Amino acid sequence: MLHLPSLSLPLLAAVAAQAAQLALQAPRVTVAAVDGSQLLSEQIPLGHALPAPVALGPKDSLKLTFQVVQSGSQEPVQPHQTFIHFYDETTGEEGVQPVKVNANGKAKFELNMARPPSSLPPTGDTPLKVSLFLGSFVHDPAKYDLFDLAIPGSAPVAQHPEAELFRPRAAIYHTFRPEPKIPPVAISGIFTCAVLAPWLALLGLWAAVRPTVPHLFSPNILSFSMSLAGMEGLLLWYWFELRLGQVLLYGALMAIPTFFTGKSALASIAARRLGQK
Amino acid sequence: MTRRDPTGPPARASSQAATPTAVQSLWKAYIDTTPARLKFIDAFLAFLVLSGVAQFVYCILVSSFPFNAFLAGFASSVGQFVLTASLRIQVNPENRTLYKTVSPERAFADFAIGSVVLHFFVFNFLG
Repeated sequence: MLHLPSLSLPLLAAVAAQAAQLALQAPRVTVAAVDGSQLLSEQIPLGHALPAPVALGPKDSLKLTFQVVQSGSQEPVQPHQTFIHFYDETTGEEGVQPVKVNANGKAKFELNMARPPSSLPPTGDTPLKVSLFLGSFVHDPAKYDLFDLAIPGSAPVAQHPEAELFRPRAAIYHTFRPEPKIPPVAISGIFTCAVLAPWLALLGLWAAVRPTVPHLFSPNILSFSMSLAGMEGLLLWYWFELRLGQVLLYGALMAIPTFFTGKSALASIAARRLGQK
Repeated sequence: MTRRDPTGPPARASSQAATPTAVQSLWKAYIDTTPARLKFIDAFLAFLVLSGVAQFVYCILVSSFPFNAFLAGFASSVGQFVLTASLRIQVNPENRTLYKTVSPERAFADFAIGSVVLHFFVFNFLG
């Protein structure tokens, strides 16, 4: 069932194609010198371009005339778009020149090399390929290769004043600071002992002072001490393993018992201090 | 309050000095009059000073290579010294008139909270 529409489409297209096709009638190219003498006048054969390239001097002028008709009935047609296309095959440069076609299908295009149109692309040594593009809403599009055009080479394109800025620059080689070296093990060992020695001094001084802590192991104070030790242990665990969100969460949770045990412990100490006083 | 002896401490170790220097009498007064608990805190302060000095000397002499580690360690010594010093001032019974609104227990609670926060930041920076 699906094949029938797909088969019918090309059929319909073929029918439609037969109905509306454009044709060129009497295409003629004429080259005149600056003094008016005719250098070349040729009819372009239907279906293919002129065999020899048309040469234009720096002051010559070229004239192209043709008439657009409907193929088959030979009625004149004014297509909606008519362009002359200049194409350089070696460099890929191209230019497009719109051409005005009258209501009776007749068109004339003049090109004067003394004042060339801006649609001529930059040219080098190879002749330009000139073709005619016809576009219409009601007809099939048509393209006709007309002739090769050999014109004097164009001046080189002026470089944009800022083109230098966009060229690749010299490669940048960064010099980085050398990696910091770890000091020798002996020195690290000596200074480790030097930094840990104050702990010994602290223990010695505390042993010499021996403050009395009569109620260190009473439940209040012991639980407060344990809560504080728990907070410090949490921080140590954070150093090894935990992430920030976790330590903040656990810290907030640990802070609750610490707060309450602290309140009760310090209140009992204060009561004892004031009671003795 | 002792008059300063211009000749300095006597060289003979066998006999006691007749007029002790200001430093010696200060030290004797300190040992005699300071309560044991304050001396306990003072021992901790001395430890913190020694610890900070040791780290600083290492940084200058050898290398500041893990600079964040040096900063964390040094800041922990200094910060803990500041907190402990303020605790000592506030719990000293002789300063009770200066701190009528802050009881020693409140001072200790502040010290504990401040220490935990300091340790948190130090461990963050230690790396």
